[in-house]
Amino acid sequence: MLVRFWGTRGSLPVAQRADAILTRIARALVIARGRRFDSEAEAAEFARTDIEFATYGTYGGATPCVEIEADENAFVICDMGSGLREFGVSAQRRCAEGHPRVYHFFLSHLHWDHIMGFPFFRPAYESGATIVIHSGHWDAEDALRRQQADISFPVPFDALKANIEFVEHTPGQTFEAAGLQVSLIHQRHRRGSFGYRFERQGKAVVYSTDAEHRPDDMEAEDAFQAFFANADLVICDTMYSLGDTVSLKLDKGHSSNVVAVDLCHAASARRLALFHHEPSHSDEDIQQMFFETVRYEKIVRGGRPELEVVCAYDGLEVEV
Amino acid sequence: MDWRVRNDGARLVAVPTGRVDEDSWKAFSTHLNAAVNDALVLAIPSLVIDLSGLEYMTSKGLRALTLAKNEARGEVTIRLAAPNATMRRILSISRYDMLFPVVDAVDPAS
Repeated sequence: MLVRFWGTRGSLPVAQRADAILTRIARALVIARGRRFDSEAEAAEFARTDIEFATYGTYGGATPCVEIEADENAFVICDMGSGLREFGVSAQRRCAEGHPRVYHFFLSHLHWDHIMGFPFFRPAYESGATIVIHSGHWDAEDALRRQQADISFPVPFDALKANIEFVEHTPGQTFEAAGLQVSLIHQRHRRGSFGYRFERQGKAVVYSTDAEHRPDDMEAEDAFQAFFANADLVICDTMYSLGDTVSLKLDKGHSSNVVAVDLCHAASARRLALFHHEPSHSDEDIQQMFFETVRYEKIVRGGRPELEVVCAYDGLEVEV
Repeated sequence: MDWRVRNDGARLVAVPTGRVDEDSWKAFSTHLNAAVNDALVLAIPSLVIDLSGLEYMTSKGLRALTLAKNEARGEVTIRLAAPNATMRRILSISRYDMLFPVVDAVDPAS
């Protein structure tokens, strides 16, 4: 399986400001110290190897949308955040090369940041495309229709030409979709959210975003340890610090980097992707959180194998 | 993890040793809440957690501190004392050093 991140920011899309770009370019030029490059490719290689990601890259601004490339007969997409627009462009290109126009979506929940990309998903406007929307919520269709009501958007849901089907699922019941074995788990979030586990040919990917793990309900984490068990990749909500989740952000429905590490350790997961970045955090803030998470993992690892930690950004691809 | 607690009169000093992790957080939380309740019953306004013998603590141990703080209802102040470099780093990474007073020594300077 190949996991491709199209949107990694939580709550609200974030755009880079001109002054932030200027600061990065200036910093990169200082680091280069007058070095000459014969091509942009050579300069890019220097940036990748000698400059920190928060300077040469960005953790991205689109809200959650993650593609799992597993079966050549269908696209698999977790959530419909603003990253979905770019996925749609990519999918149309791939369909032009022969990929079937079949899309299976798995919705964590129906909050705006997780569905806002759908009105801009160009394949939904194509007759002949098939879209299956899997959800743990009974009212997924209501949510998608409502955001295309004329008070919010100029094109109504009924103008979409694709064949669109909604399928409601129950936690604990495994089902098959797009060549994957899929199960879901209920998560604590305002109005509830669902995490998904996707399995194929002995590999497992878990998508668990917008999930709060409260101090007064730590026993409930046993179910998540079982859900994450031996996963090759766990994509986890790490929006806040642990301190924030138990104080200012209590009951906001999100988790922290250190809880994500502990859950993955207890589950013997192999890799953790930090996800759903706080929109007010700069790339430097997110990079620092990433470095701290790596440090924390090492401290509490004990005798376990290393849990590899990656920090998701728009455009990241992870081979599983 | 081992746990001892002593009453200095003006404060309780709890001394966990070892590590607080997936296997030991429940015991840690139980001891901690009992110490808070003792402090409340005895009207002792301060509970010092001597971290000097603690190797490290994972998120459940940290959250147990939050539960104890809630249990204390503002009537008992919980201080974290003498963390080793690793514990200090964990407190910083988790931002728990913003939630609890962290002091270098168990005994206040005379």
